[in-house]
Amino acid sequence: MNWRHMAGLLGLLLLFIGLSMLFPLGFSLYYKDDGLAPLLWSSNIVVVLGLLLHFLFRKHKAAGINHREGMFIVAAAWIGSSLMGSLPFMLGGFMTPTDAIFESFSGFTTTGASILTNIEELPPGILMWRSFTHWLGGMGIIVLSLAILPFLGVGGMQLYKAEVSGPSPDKLKPRIRDTAMILWKVYVFFTLILIVLLLLGGLSFFDSLCQTFGTVATGGFSNKNSSIAHFDSAYVDWIITGFMFLCGISFALHYKLLTGKIGDVWKSPELRFFSFVAVFLILLSTIFTYLYSYDTFSQALRYSSFQIVSIITSTGFVTYDYLLWPALIQLILLFCMFMGGCAGSTAGGIKCMRIMLLLKLAYRELFRIVHPHAVRQVKMGRALVKDDVLNGIVGFIIIYLNLMIISSLVIAAMGVDFVTSLTSVLACISNIGPGFGQVGPASNYSLLPDPAKWLLSLCMVLGRLEIYTIIVLMIPEFWRK
Amino acid sequence: MRVIIIGAGQVGLNIAARLAQEKKDVVIVDRDSRALEMISEKMDVQVMEGSGSSPEILKKAGIMDSDILLAVTDSDETNLVACTFANMLSPKTTKLARIRNDEYLNFEEIWAKDLGISMVINPEVEVVRAIYRVMRAPEAVEINDFAQGRIKLLGILVDEKSVLCDLNLSQVRDRLKIQEVVVAAIVRGEKLIIPSGKDNITKGDLVYIACRDNDLEQISRNLGAKSSSTKNIMIIGGGNIGFRLAKFLENKSFNIKLLDRNRNLCRELSEKLQNTVVINGDGTDQNILNEENVKDMDLVVTLTEDDETNILSSLLVQKLGAAMTITRINKPAYTPLVRTIGLKHIVSPRLAAVNTILNQIRKGSIISAVAIREDVDVMEAFINNGQGVANKKISEMAFPEGVLILAILRDKEVILPSGDTVLKSGDRITVLSSSKCIAALEKNLTARLECF
Repeated sequence: MNWRHMAGLLGLLLLFIGLSMLFPLGFSLYYKDDGLAPLLWSSNIVVVLGLLLHFLFRKHKAAGINHREGMFIVAAAWIGSSLMGSLPFMLGGFMTPTDAIFESFSGFTTTGASILTNIEELPPGILMWRSFTHWLGGMGIIVLSLAILPFLGVGGMQLYKAEVSGPSPDKLKPRIRDTAMILWKVYVFFTLILIVLLLLGGLSFFDSLCQTFGTVATGGFSNKNSSIAHFDSAYVDWIITGFMFLCGISFALHYKLLTGKIGDVWKSPELRFFSFVAVFLILLSTIFTYLYSYDTFSQALRYSSFQIVSIITSTGFVTYDYLLWPALIQLILLFCMFMGGCAGSTAGGIKCMRIMLLLKLAYRELFRIVHPHAVRQVKMGRALVKDDVLNGIVGFIIIYLNLMIISSLVIAAMGVDFVTSLTSVLACISNIGPGFGQVGPASNYSLLPDPAKWLLSLCMVLGRLEIYTIIVLMIPEFWRK
Repeated sequence: MRVIIIGAGQVGLNIAARLAQEKKDVVIVDRDSRALEMISEKMDVQVMEGSGSSPEILKKAGIMDSDILLAVTDSDETNLVACTFANMLSPKTTKLARIRNDEYLNFEEIWAKDLGISMVINPEVEVVRAIYRVMRAPEAVEINDFAQGRIKLLGILVDEKSVLCDLNLSQVRDRLKIQEVVVAAIVRGEKLIIPSGKDNITKGDLVYIACRDNDLEQISRNLGAKSSSTKNIMIIGGGNIGFRLAKFLENKSFNIKLLDRNRNLCRELSEKLQNTVVINGDGTDQNILNEENVKDMDLVVTLTEDDETNILSSLLVQKLGAAMTITRINKPAYTPLVRTIGLKHIVSPRLAAVNTILNQIRKGSIISAVAIREDVDVMEAFINNGQGVANKKISEMAFPEGVLILAILRDKEVILPSGDTVLKSGDRITVLSSSKCIAALEKNLTARLECF
């Protein structure tokens, strides 16, 4: 592997992260808060580190990036940015180093799991950085780099595939830079619209920015202690529900929609599946919460829609303590945590596409029992799905479940209770945020032991990069020459 | 600019790689999903699995928005069908097809008018041209045409015996006894030098020189080529290319021997060729080669289908005393190897086609280009009044660094410019540019066409 070339590239990415800290710095200046010094220092440190790396290795030219190098760069970029992103929390003395790193990983991976018990006491600049990490991580720091840094064209596909979610990411345009640019344009478009809509809902500019970043990245950080429930407004709830749903859909589809190919969009089998599941679960949840928890139907509909969409898109916003809901709905929420949104969206989880293909694969086995000589291939819509892709998915699910089992066993070994161990791992690996038990909607991750927070940080980045990118770095075969 | 390339073979890949490097939008269509997977990992292009001759696939690949369609699969029929459908779907798209079969080639009327194909490329014809160019200037390791052949660009490998060795650039004109030459570039190791008057030529340099077509023979002589120019030629391998070459050279009064293993083929060849001695025998057989006086040959061209046979034959005839060899190599991986074992001149049918195609597809007023190295292009462009470069001295122009004007064609007169030369509207200039500067140069020369 060409270490120098990769170090140079990583330097540039760090430089970029360092510069992005100037955005919350602006808010610190405006509010004259305690976040100013830590943000300024962190930004300086990261920028200098980035420049150092870049200029030390700048002269080293390379033809491109092979797929191993691509995976390494993406993994290193995510872990590096998350570590660097924790500096503002740490330097200001707002959190212990472990907590700061957990919070930063949670931010960049758009998980939204927090260790903060009193969020509102933090200076606005720091809160803005916390939410901004969501926004950067939502569409992906690599995809953003591909869009704005011209030199990544060669080998860019390697990086793109290692970061973008879904079993087989596709290019929208012949050139990777144009593809990345389109994805970011759609992303920025949604962001701007949501900011305006929230401003119309009576939120302050600062609040609407924070909620918007948490929503479009399907992250889940809010700058309020009681999350979205703080605003206690049906309008805000519905708007955010809508945008969480939109951002759980593939951004490639949004692009098609915006360019007027509506027919194509509705024909997408994954979108149909995702919408159907969401609507069905919302109805089910509405009926049961209406019967057991709420007085009016409209309340039941509002809270149910918000919660189901929030969990299924892996956002993790909360407007109501769902631990008080009927067990059926709690179980449904638990299963939603596995599923996640569509491939190519900002959502986490296993993704609808994989679930659908697995179901089809399973049905094919049944079909073959009935017709032993039948030739039947798995299709998505009308397109044939290759065996390579199917095998990849099966492998993915197996590793996903094994990771969950091992991680939750390790956490349970630290003395954490059964439900918390299981759901904290699930909520982190699927990038959701709140789980059940001690990490339920009304509490958070602050009570977990430090080693558990480290493990969960790892789970978050594993989940965000869809496991393979990180986990291959851990097998010896990867490092063999 | 959007280009659709049908066929992910050597020709398609080479062109795609160059275009992607120049930041053009490239879509490659092929039926082999494995090949496509490799490409999408190596190059910044879009790949699409499917048959290029299917209108459905063409539509999906975006033929309506494409400027150029290149049909370069190995099958003439696929290429023709692809171009035909492309013409129906999107008449404005420029269509180029790679076609080998003479029976198609002879009906230019049909494919130009009815099928809307703007150019047909035959790799075999291209390779014969390439061989002929090398023959005319044997001291050059490569040679390219510009301004319809009126300007030549020679690549000369300098060793310690060469007349150019240890020369200052200002002395080159005197040494070659011709005033109108321009040293275009020097490649030293991995480095490219776009020269100024101060640079020196040293041993091991690859020097590129632009000159007039008429002066080619004189330069070649002054570079040290034997004054009695090539007369006796042996061609080993009587396949399509060997036959074409023999037929082409027959008319130019050379003594030609054509050697092939296949007896039946030899019979056929002797029937079709008039002044060529056709010999049945193996090109790697010393006895036959000696029998035919290979040591007196001025040139041996090895053109069998098999790379290894060609390499061995060339080495053998060099050892037996042939003055010069040209070797046909298909596998690109062999190219760097064969230079080191002493085969100076090689030709590749596919690469020959690549340059011809690249010539055709430059944007706006840039009308042709040749890649002399992976990162250097030489291209031709028209100068219009609107471009802001007309009526200016060359030394005053704001061209990006790494760009050098080699020659100007003005009303059929070739001018090899100095800094004081003034460009006029209607000039056709030949420019050398490093790949990085191409986009900037294109902008400079087509400023009026790009409205955004």
